[in-house]
Amino acid sequence: MRHIRKVFPGVVALDDVSFDLKAGEVHVLLGENGAGKSTLVKILSGAIQKTDGEIVLFDNPVEIDSPKQAQKLGIGIIYQELNLVPSLTAAENIFLGRERTNSVGLIEKHTLLSSAQHILSSIGLQIDCDQPVRSFGIAQRQMIEVAKALSLDARILIMDEPTSALSETEIKQLFGVIRKLREKGVAIIYISHRLQEIFEIGDRVTVLRDGKLVGTRMVYETSQAELVKMMVNRELKEQYPRHRTDRGEEILRVEKLNRKGALRDISFSLHRGEILGISGLLGSGRTELARALFGADRIDSGEIVIKGKCRKINSPRTAVKLGLGFLTEDRKSQGLVLSLSVKDNITLSSLDLFSRLGVISNKREEREAKSFIEQLRIKTPSNHQKVLNLSGGNQQKVVLAKWLSRKADIFIFDEPTRGIDVGSKVEIYQLMNQLTAEGVAIIMISSELPEVLGMSDRILIMYQHTIVCELKSEEATQERVMRYALGAA
Amino acid sequence: MKKELLIQNSRQLGTFVGLIVVTAVFWILSPYFLTISNLMNIAEQASINAVIAVGMTFVIIAAGIDLSVGSIVALSGVVLAGALQASLPVPVAILLGLGVGALCGLSNGLLISFGRLPPFIATLGMMSVARGIALFYTDGRPVSGFSAEFRSLATGEIARIPSPVIIMIVLYILAHCILHWTKLGRYTYAIGGNEEAANLSGINTRMIKTTIYALCGMLSGLAAVLLTARLNSAQPIAGLMYELDAIAAVVIGGTSLLGGEGTISGTLIGVLIMGILRNGLNLVGVSSFTQQVVIGSVIILAVLIDMAVRKDRTILLAKGIIK
Amino acid sequence: MKTRVFVVVFAALLGLQQCGRSDRADKPIIALVLKTLNNPFFMDMQEGAQAAAARLGVDLIVQAPEREVDVEKQMQIIENLIQRKVSAICVAPSGSKEIVPAILKANQARIPVIVIDTRVDRKAQTESGAVVLSFIGSDNKDGGRIAGEFVSEKLGGTGEVAILEGIPGHETGDARLLGFHEALAEQKGITIVASQTANWERDQGFNVFRNILQAHPHVKAIFACNDMMALGAVEAIAAVDKKGDIIVVGFDAIKDSRAAIVNGDMQASIAQHPEEMGRLAVETALKALHGENVPSDIPVKIELVTKTKLDKLTSH
Repeated sequence: MRHIRKVFPGVVALDDVSFDLKAGEVHVLLGENGAGKSTLVKILSGAIQKTDGEIVLFDNPVEIDSPKQAQKLGIGIIYQELNLVPSLTAAENIFLGRERTNSVGLIEKHTLLSSAQHILSSIGLQIDCDQPVRSFGIAQRQMIEVAKALSLDARILIMDEPTSALSETEIKQLFGVIRKLREKGVAIIYISHRLQEIFEIGDRVTVLRDGKLVGTRMVYETSQAELVKMMVNRELKEQYPRHRTDRGEEILRVEKLNRKGALRDISFSLHRGEILGISGLLGSGRTELARALFGADRIDSGEIVIKGKCRKINSPRTAVKLGLGFLTEDRKSQGLVLSLSVKDNITLSSLDLFSRLGVISNKREEREAKSFIEQLRIKTPSNHQKVLNLSGGNQQKVVLAKWLSRKADIFIFDEPTRGIDVGSKVEIYQLMNQLTAEGVAIIMISSELPEVLGMSDRILIMYQHTIVCELKSEEATQERVMRYALGAA
Repeated sequence: MKKELLIQNSRQLGTFVGLIVVTAVFWILSPYFLTISNLMNIAEQASINAVIAVGMTFVIIAAGIDLSVGSIVALSGVVLAGALQASLPVPVAILLGLGVGALCGLSNGLLISFGRLPPFIATLGMMSVARGIALFYTDGRPVSGFSAEFRSLATGEIARIPSPVIIMIVLYILAHCILHWTKLGRYTYAIGGNEEAANLSGINTRMIKTTIYALCGMLSGLAAVLLTARLNSAQPIAGLMYELDAIAAVVIGGTSLLGGEGTISGTLIGVLIMGILRNGLNLVGVSSFTQQVVIGSVIILAVLIDMAVRKDRTILLAKGIIK
Repeated sequence: MKTRVFVVVFAALLGLQQCGRSDRADKPIIALVLKTLNNPFFMDMQEGAQAAAARLGVDLIVQAPEREVDVEKQMQIIENLIQRKVSAICVAPSGSKEIVPAILKANQARIPVIVIDTRVDRKAQTESGAVVLSFIGSDNKDGGRIAGEFVSEKLGGTGEVAILEGIPGHETGDARLLGFHEALAEQKGITIVASQTANWERDQGFNVFRNILQAHPHVKAIFACNDMMALGAVEAIAAVDKKGDIIVVGFDAIKDSRAAIVNGDMQASIAQHPEEMGRLAVETALKALHGENVPSDIPVKIELVTKTKLDKLTSH
């Protein structure tokens, strides 16, 4: 792939990325969340179209317009969320859409089964292909996906985070399969965060950062440290106007929060006037922590102490009453009711304050909404405008206004500036400053390292559902944070 | 800003135009159609569906559905009738009827909010259960013959307007106020627009949903009161297919089945259009069978138009159905 | 703004419409409201009425709900006919008590009402003061009695009998039941093991009788209060292969049941002459409109129809 460029509305996802793949190699793609890895492979697999650049396959330039076309060209992809039909058998899944039928139009079950078994044994596996997929575990399902790709005569196989749900033994099994594929001359693009694995199975590694190509190295020629540096080394172009305020009293303390499969022994404390950044890679448990604090998910054990009192938070309603506010990761689907107006969204959590006996006082509501629109500089033609029509930054401001209207004093921001233009980003940081100056405490979950480093007073790093490190902002560097986030020491 | 208002109101306007068109068509086809007396007649005939449609409007705006309204009408009706025949005072009997309706609705609401049953399934079950209880309670027979005092709910008039119509008007004004000016109304729109976001904003979504279904059940009970007074009889088989008429009126009136949008005034127009269709086709002499075809087609047309207008993507985007 | 537009348009239409309003038509319009058009019995009634209307030079409107149970629809039909300013209404009520409010409305509009086939409940009528010009119909009780006598004769005085009832509360069904019970009251050897409603409908007749057969496999005879249900029962008998073992008696003697009687699936039915009722309805209505006195009760004859009778007819 040469000089690939991909532009989404408002964002350049890939900027002049060139990447080459040799037959029979395992080429690792490495990068932070949002670096562009998924975008790159999606272009290759036909799921999205590149804006610019060219793709050359076996010395022939090609245009990959659709997943079906990618299949025809011999490119197979195994997504993290596997694409299998649980109620059909393994064999049926492998040949889905390409079943051979006899003269009467009925599917030839025997040939289906034997072909499936054949493919699997070619990569050294024994799976009963006549069983429905739902009876298999994740590891075996992945194998079935591999077989599916092979049945399509894939010469290039893309694997997106294949080991995230596997046990040690299963990973070894997977690597065995990958080695067999390598011997057969299949080229594998392997996306992963796990540094150890990269060094175990990879031949070459390419690092992307912020949509740009940083470099490609032979695995045996590089080190963990160098890779981390390549991943995060960037100029801090953006300003992070953090004004430190004096830390106030402890307002929230969490002790040994546990939930099977989501949180492990989480403990930390939060003080008024501070911004606590939480960093970590996808799947490390950050959003789960936020949801547990907010009562959106339950916890198995552990204590939450708010303003000195131990509390049980079973529902968002309780959390809101206790003064928490949650700006979710996905504001469109969880933070806003898009069909309602700006005013309605701003007052959504605080209608109690504007109504008597259940009847809403329109005047007071409008006054409140207008005051926030002014205060936060929300760009909207009127407070009756449907929130749907606002830009990302302004939508986020509306969510913020909602919690301000409720007079929350513990704010949980989950990816506060995702999908927002630079100008609005700065405004939001300034608002965060204002809040802390007034004694509000903020938990900020973010995948943008510069943001975490720039705005947090303290940083918690999560890895595999638990907190692995707490750093004061002075001690933190991008590399250090990333190292912990990757599970390295 | 103007374009916004235009899109928001175009649905309302469209429904209103539909009303004018249907009125004009029958005015042309029959000289007996556009008389004050016939219009009152239509209003009276439509009043029962109108009452049910109010409850259904709330339910559908909250992105739910209630298929049990017809059966609740039957059950409330026979309980009410039983009470009247047992010589209970009329107001008590009416409260009993409303109470039964509210109870059925409450049951629906609890199953849906706390039991996490899909509204379609929960209310489908209630549809069968309520009807069964009604049949069992009356042994399949209708209960008829009530006092003039009770019947006056249907036969009475205030200023030449039939009582059921007055009740309908009062109810609609009340419902409009609730939907647009109270917390309950606002939360209904929020839950229908995005239940997850509403929940994460601290709204007690489960309680609100339960309340809405209970309200719908109670209004079905009110419809039963009006129906029983009108026919001087409560049948366990009454109310068959009433849910269809109610849902049709709500949808024709501009409320989206996906939830989050809709108005009471729209439903009123939808109810009137349905009433005019039934009355008009009857006046013109179209057979019952053809009437069914026409009305069914109108419903399909209304939903098609609804979907086409939504092609402007607002609701679909809002619901995350498309990104 | 919207409301204002609406009011203006509405007023304009009303005004225009007043100009073109026609007075009561020169030809009298007689309305015939049946229980349903889904039953050949009522189709025969319609034909009789239409023939009479054509002969006498009056306009006839025939309307009915889809199902006999739909009391509300009948009421709506009558209300709309009143708006239509018909000259007279002849109705076969779907509910003997439930029809009263509708009759009252017709009375208020000064439209004469003639009731066919099913009587209005006496008590409800007197209590409400509803006025009915005339009742045209058969003596259903007598018909039930004849059916009962037939069954008792065929069973030789002993055996189990099942009954399929009509819609509860319909005076026709109730009367037929009464007559049937009276005829069998003396017969100590005959037991009525089941008596359930199939709401006048054929498929309900099938289902209900099927269930009855399951519970009482030794049933020897069944009386269905109308032919539609009887035909359903015939199908149920065929389904369990008991053809010929059970005596089936219906009521109405519609074409299908006559055919069934001829080939032995049914044994008897009570013929009612619905065309007669239709004819008489139109004639009586016209007489009333011309100011003549009409009798308050016009009986229409009934007779037992059996295979022998039908064979006699065809052999002529």
